[in-house]
Amino acid sequence: MARRPSTASVARRTIVTPVLLSVLLVIFALAAWAAGSRPFNQTVIDIFLQVIFVVGLYTFIGNSGVISFGHVAFACLGGYVAAWTTIKPMMKSSAMPGLPDWLMQMEIPFWAAAIAGAGFAAFWALVFGAVLMRLSGIAASIATFAMLAMVNSIYSNWDSVTAATSSVVGIPIVRTVWPYLVAAVLSVFAAWAFSISRHGLALRAARDEPTAAAASGVDIPRVRLVAFVLSGAIMGAGGALYAHSIGLVTPDTFYLGLTFTTLSMLVVGGMGSLSGAVIGVLILSSLIQILRWLEAGVAIGESSFALPGGVQEIALGVVMILILMFRPAGIMGNSEWTGRLPRFAKPGAPGPDNRSQPTGDQT
Amino acid sequence: MSDLRADKVSVAFAGLKALSDVDLSVASGQIVGLIGPNGAGKTTLVNVLTGFQAATEGAVRLDGQPLSGLKPHEVRRRGIARTFQGGRLFRDLAVIDNLEVTGVGLGQSRAAALAEAEAMLDWVGIAPLADRIAGTLPYTDERRVAIGRALMGRPKFLLLDEPAAGMSAAEAQDLSALIRRIAGEMGCGVLLIEHNVGLVLGLCDHIVVLDSGATIETGPPAAIRASEKVRHAYMGTAAETDLPVLEAGLEVEA
Ligand SMILES: Nc1ncnc2c1ncn2[C@@H]1O[C@H](COP(=O)(O)OP(=O)(O)OP(=O)(O)O)[C@@H](O)[C@H]1O
Ligand SMILES: [Mg+2]
Repeated sequence: MARRPSTASVARRTIVTPVLLSVLLVIFALAAWAAGSRPFNQTVIDIFLQVIFVVGLYTFIGNSGVISFGHVAFACLGGYVAAWTTIKPMMKSSAMPGLPDWLMQMEIPFWAAAIAGAGFAAFWALVFGAVLMRLSGIAASIATFAMLAMVNSIYSNWDSVTAATSSVVGIPIVRTVWPYLVAAVLSVFAAWAFSISRHGLALRAARDEPTAAAASGVDIPRVRLVAFVLSGAIMGAGGALYAHSIGLVTPDTFYLGLTFTTLSMLVVGGMGSLSGAVIGVLILSSLIQILRWLEAGVAIGESSFALPGGVQEIALGVVMILILMFRPAGIMGNSEWTGRLPRFAKPGAPGPDNRSQPTGDQT
Repeated sequence: MSDLRADKVSVAFAGLKALSDVDLSVASGQIVGLIGPNGAGKTTLVNVLTGFQAATEGAVRLDGQPLSGLKPHEVRRRGIARTFQGGRLFRDLAVIDNLEVTGVGLGQSRAAALAEAEAMLDWVGIAPLADRIAGTLPYTDERRVAIGRALMGRPKFLLLDEPAAGMSAAEAQDLSALIRRIAGEMGCGVLLIEHNVGLVLGLCDHIVVLDSGATIETGPPAAIRASEKVRHAYMGTAAETDLPVLEAGLEVEA
């Protein structure tokens, strides 16, 4: 049997996945650009933001198997960093008078705010994670939820630096799709790089068999922490860009609603798969959009047809339940999109479905 | 030369004494057998030696250094590897990745881990399985993968928990040959837990027999074979399946 020739080939064998996913994202961006319609443009920006969030979630949940209900807290941290660092000092001083002087005077471009948001979120992920990563299973999940509630409560009450529950407005709005595209592509590549890294491999092993992983020398809390910090950084950058997409933040922008949609998209796409994270977003977002149009009403010849309001949520719920009934592991399961047509598994030949992560062999 | 030693180790689980005052030592290149009926405490002792279970009393020492308080991954990094009763492979990962996990767990880069994993698969004799998903392997191959995974990074000691369970006689023979090479060629000290007593008597330099958590006999294979206490332990408390196995073992080797 011809073995792979080079030891540095893991990246080469698996890079096709992030490349294909990026191409898919570029197609969406080009469609928005070609259509030239402002609402459609905004829709595509929203999709890219969701991609960033869900890929951020995947980086932790997909690799560790620990469900986190708290990652949106990092988006919140990033969103407020954007508010603190990009709003005009005049406006800041009236809305958030308690900011320290150096921060009050700061006015940086949106992309720098996204980087700062990522850094700030990563720092807090390190602090929270140092404690949380020692927990496992449902205890860990509940603790992440407690973290979200804590962050939300602090940001809802710390009047002088967050304006409490009122909207912080005046964040410069970025309306072109390209920066969001770049950020989404970068997060896809970051997630891929992590999952083929030594920490990613060790973490997936610990997800499957924690006891055997520990007996293999894997320091489980530590590899989990690495994933937690990276995913926190991605969420933080996403939160900052989210703030720039709508021009304002409130603590509840980053709370249960966003937690629910992002987790749903990940579950529908397939928790153990980067392709699943991206494809879950694209499918559910497209569906939401189509339902919105239908609710708004479409003209068919003379008459116009409109779905009653509320159908959107119901239809979305039904679709999710159907997908999960027929594919409990999500659309992609644990497998990655490699651009090949799905094969029917032959006995003895591993089909795409029992392939593992990007590290699954491609030779 | 290294030596791994359990000194008067006792473990109590809520009233149940799983181990009482057990002594055991393994040196580099040596194959030590640990036998005893179901529930005797064999796996518990391996758990104590590898940091999965704290001893209630007594200590584990590697070259005189106590290992108490170390976590399982820290014990592994000091060169004490183990396998599990029932394999516990990373079922979703390819065989080669299963081995690589230990490499990266021990601090290697992925490239270095991959290179060693390929060589190790070859050494263990399962190179053609490299790209198979571990969860799809037959039982016998699973055992070899588990051993290959444990041998990554050349541990000083390897503790095997029932590696021959469910194997045919011929497969058990192949396994014996592999265990001999692990001790002989790698100089690794091996602790072998097995219900297939014939295999243990044939392979080991020294054997410890546990029953209900206590050491009832120690010595070279000949002494174990001759021991009335051992015969009794197996007849008195073991599940029925153990007795023919023991008898078969005693006959084959006698
Ligand atoms: N975590 C635990 N909590 C409580 N009791 C335990 C625990 N682990 C083992 N025991 C008990 O300790 C005793 C020894 O178990 P152990 O698994 O070490 O036996 P063994 O010799 O490996 O048996 P087998 O041959 O069946 O594998 C048994 O009575 C078992 O029920
Ligand atoms: Mg046992």
